[in-house]
Amino acid sequence: MNTLDDIRALVAALAQAPLPEDPEASLFEAGVIDSFGVMDLVAQLEARFALKVPDEDMLPRKFESLSKIAAYVASRKA
Amino acid sequence: MPSILGFGACLPPRVVTHEELAERLGVEPGWILEACGIRERRWAQEETVVDLAEGAAREALSAGGLRPGDLGAIILGTGTPQRQFPGVSAELQRRLGCPGIPAFDVHLASSGGMVALCLARELCRAYGPVLAVGAERMSDIVQRDFVKETAILFGDGAGAAVVSPAEGPLEILEALWAADGDFASDLCLDSGGPLKMNGRTVIMQANRKLVATVETLLARAGRRTGEVDLFVFHQANLNLLRQVARTLGVEASKVPITLHRYGNTSAASVLIAAAEAWKEGRFHFGSLGLLAAFGAGFSWGGMLVEAR
Repeated sequence: MNTLDDIRALVAALAQAPLPEDPEASLFEAGVIDSFGVMDLVAQLEARFALKVPDEDMLPRKFESLSKIAAYVASRKA
Repeated sequence: MPSILGFGACLPPRVVTHEELAERLGVEPGWILEACGIRERRWAQEETVVDLAEGAAREALSAGGLRPGDLGAIILGTGTPQRQFPGVSAELQRRLGCPGIPAFDVHLASSGGMVALCLARELCRAYGPVLAVGAERMSDIVQRDFVKETAILFGDGAGAAVVSPAEGPLEILEALWAADGDFASDLCLDSGGPLKMNGRTVIMQANRKLVATVETLLARAGRRTGEVDLFVFHQANLNLLRQVARTLGVEASKVPITLHRYGNTSAASVLIAAAEAWKEGRFHFGSLGLLAAFGAGFSWGGMLVEAR
């Protein structure tokens, strides 16, 4: 399973609506996740990928879509 | 070590229910409850922000066994002053009849009451007992641009506390306050304009900063989360309060909620919630209490107290 698939599975477990097929689609606009769900998602990402999301990265745009989340995780693991 | 001598609160009598707001906004009453959980809030009629501040201040002074003449300074947090200047604190000082001491406003909205309290802890060492107040007429703001997203959230009111440099019923163990101006535009009110709020950023940052504030205060004091009996937070959003409590591993019974009755009263909310907890005897002998707030700026602060 690659990182994007991993992230898709994490988001699916928290999703309030069906996940969009397009990894670029906004999870907020699709109703998949809200401001509170994204906090839970960050906690899951930190645990799954053994990383720490600093306060300055707690911005909606960094977790807007599956691809943005994957890019963020990659940047933190690099 | 400085201590809090007593709290006070003042809410205007006019109750605005979610049913009344639903009718005015053209939405279902259930939508309001689902969106924010606020059943009612108080909206001032003829009461000014100074009237509300004075009511809370006099109650706090009485609770602390002080007269206005005993005060060494007045600090007032508000985001809704009735005049650009002088501050609400000036008129409050005149009404209380205690000239010749420092009196100033902290213009910080939701964290204003908390920061006033933190500043009181510092200034009381130099000036003697300090009155810290948070007072708001948020209804003026929401009725200026009457939209459902904000109209349902806010209420009016004031809370106050008296801080002494000497021993008292609530010893202040630790306090902190901070700000990050990078987020200045994410929650703001331009002169004469509508309230602007980037809700997702506010929630994400508030969660992080409130949790960090609690953890930092406890670490400094060498205490653990489980030792705290009462967590009095700024009453902004029920889901946010629940999530912060969950992140900290705190049971809901330790987090007083006034939001569903008063709405978000901005700078006043943490002091109003503390005043209610005080009146209910929840700061019982030997207990630890933690107050924390987050607001525009972003700015945030907190205080750890121990009941003596």
